[in-house]
Amino acid sequence: MNIQDNYLNNKKNIFFSDNKDIQTHRDKLINIFENDRFDKKNNESLKNINLKNFIDFKYKYLIPEETSVINNNQENSYSIVSVNGQCSSFKDDQIEITKILEEDYNDFSKNDTIENNDHFVNLNSLFLNSGFKIVIKKNNNIKIKISNIITDDNLTIFQKNNYICEEGSSLNLIEEYENKNNSTSNILNVIKLEKNSQLNHFLIQDNSPNHNLIITTHSSCKKDSTYTQKVYNFSEGYVRNFHYSELIEANSEVDLQGIFFIKDNNTTNNKTFVKHLAEDCKSNQVYKGILNDRSKATYFSNTHVDQVAQKTEGYQLSKGILLSENASYFSKPELKIYADDVKCSHGSTIGPIDENAIFYLRSRGMSKIAATKILISSFINEELSSIDNEQMSEIIQKKLVRYLSKVK
Amino acid sequence: MFLEIKDLSVKIENKNILKSLNLDINKGEVHAIMGPNGSGKSTLANVLAGKEDYEILNGRINFKDNDLFDLNIEERAQEGMFLAFQYPVEIPGVNITPFLHSAINSKRKRMNEEEIDNLSFAKLLKSKASDLGINIDMLKRSVNTGFSGGEKKRYEILQMSILNPDLAILDETDSGLDIDALKIVTDGVNKLKTKDNSFLIITHYQKLLDYIKPDYVHVMVNGSIVKSGGSEIAAEIEKDGFQKFQ
Repeated sequence: MNIQDNYLNNKKNIFFSDNKDIQTHRDKLINIFENDRFDKKNNESLKNINLKNFIDFKYKYLIPEETSVINNNQENSYSIVSVNGQCSSFKDDQIEITKILEEDYNDFSKNDTIENNDHFVNLNSLFLNSGFKIVIKKNNNIKIKISNIITDDNLTIFQKNNYICEEGSSLNLIEEYENKNNSTSNILNVIKLEKNSQLNHFLIQDNSPNHNLIITTHSSCKKDSTYTQKVYNFSEGYVRNFHYSELIEANSEVDLQGIFFIKDNNTTNNKTFVKHLAEDCKSNQVYKGILNDRSKATYFSNTHVDQVAQKTEGYQLSKGILLSENASYFSKPELKIYADDVKCSHGSTIGPIDENAIFYLRSRGMSKIAATKILISSFINEELSSIDNEQMSEIIQKKLVRYLSKVK
Repeated sequence: MFLEIKDLSVKIENKNILKSLNLDINKGEVHAIMGPNGSGKSTLANVLAGKEDYEILNGRINFKDNDLFDLNIEERAQEGMFLAFQYPVEIPGVNITPFLHSAINSKRKRMNEEEIDNLSFAKLLKSKASDLGINIDMLKRSVNTGFSGGEKKRYEILQMSILNPDLAILDETDSGLDIDALKIVTDGVNKLKTKDNSFLIITHYQKLLDYIKPDYVHVMVNGSIVKSGGSEIAAEIEKDGFQKFQ
């Protein structure tokens, strides 16, 4: 089935299909799919994947009977279960949760940082069937944990979420993706940080081999705001983590970190793209991967410094350990600098585990497997020890132990 | 015989390094091997420790009644062999204290001895570090990471004193050490010497042997031991160099 037929056949289930402006936008996207030759060499969203598998899907979406649970179990702390991309409405003095609205869609579709180039984002806009909006009200400091649940096999979730941190607010957000269904989640998070706000965003991904997870995040930071994203990918199924960030006002910061642990024939694709559009901003992009068996990974990092963005600091680092001769990790750091007073760097180191270090540890009586495990743990030690959330730290440690137990 | 090397020939990447080498070490003896650059001294140390880059062409090695080639790297260490590295490897993120604790317990396990608990180990480590003039703060750091050359060598000797090996191989432990550090390191070695353990000391210079008195000195040239004797050989080398042995 081609994409247009698929869209037309399912139009009644797709959000906002009665809205003329949105329809016009979607017609444009359909054209892109019909005319694009899907140039794998030049389009980073196509690397290492068979897009056909994602285009020729059977559209199936299930409206959950019970949508979600929100529990203000401690002061300033919320727990949300998002079922098939839905979350019920909630409002108090600190936060407000609503269904995704047409205006949120329009707001995003005008942003040309991602539009057209990223086919998964285009698919998300075309087949949108779920999503929510969370507003953190001014000067509040809160914690939210979201468990993302898929209830059935063969579901295709196209979800847009909108997070707004109002001025002076602070959000600690933990998102868990642990799905065992044969299904696909294509999620777009649009995050807006107003002046002097802060968002620490943790994503734990641990899906079974049948579940495909595609997460794209777009963040924009206003004056004195900070966005931090830490992704921990333990999934046995395909995962894509793409992040597009814009530092739009002075003295804002973005810190994008990811660690992935993959094995078997699994693939993960990762991208971070930071646009410095104002002066005195900082960005940090660090991804580390451990790859076993015949697994494959990509990581594209990109820093764009606009000519007005003087006093920029932008750092990129990519590191990988290949535990098997058949594993591969493609990393491509890029810097485009149009300002003259900046500090920027990038680096990439990928290779097998250090045999000299293994020999050193074994020469002290440690077995080869124990030495390998200790070196893997040490490779990510800096990132793990910097987790200041005890609950998160425990979860990650347990998953790491599970991954290491399968390393031979 | 504690360590018996018979007719050992070894190559790496099509280059023969050790050629029919013979060496016997008894319990309680200190042996020194001296030789020019490229004579195969470090290869011998690495082969004894079990480094897998080398191809054994011929010969055998017995260590404490074991055929050494039957033991892998960690089994050799657990049996009581210790190599103090010429270039200790930096391992960022691996903390010294738990690493050494794990190392000592792996040896105890093999010897069917009770494992040492955290508290007892901390006390042992602190006391040994103090003997070697090692600052306690250094024990909170990652293995060899950011250490100066002297600190790395001192830390090798600390590991040796904790693991208390039956045979310690010191591969150019004196290189890169100033005179004060050399004294601290050699004092540490001398404190460990007993009638039940043995040392194989690899060096270019007599200086180290002024501090650790060897029972035997061997001259190694081109992969073979060409002369063996007492301390007088070291003095001879110091005076005339290795030229006359080549």
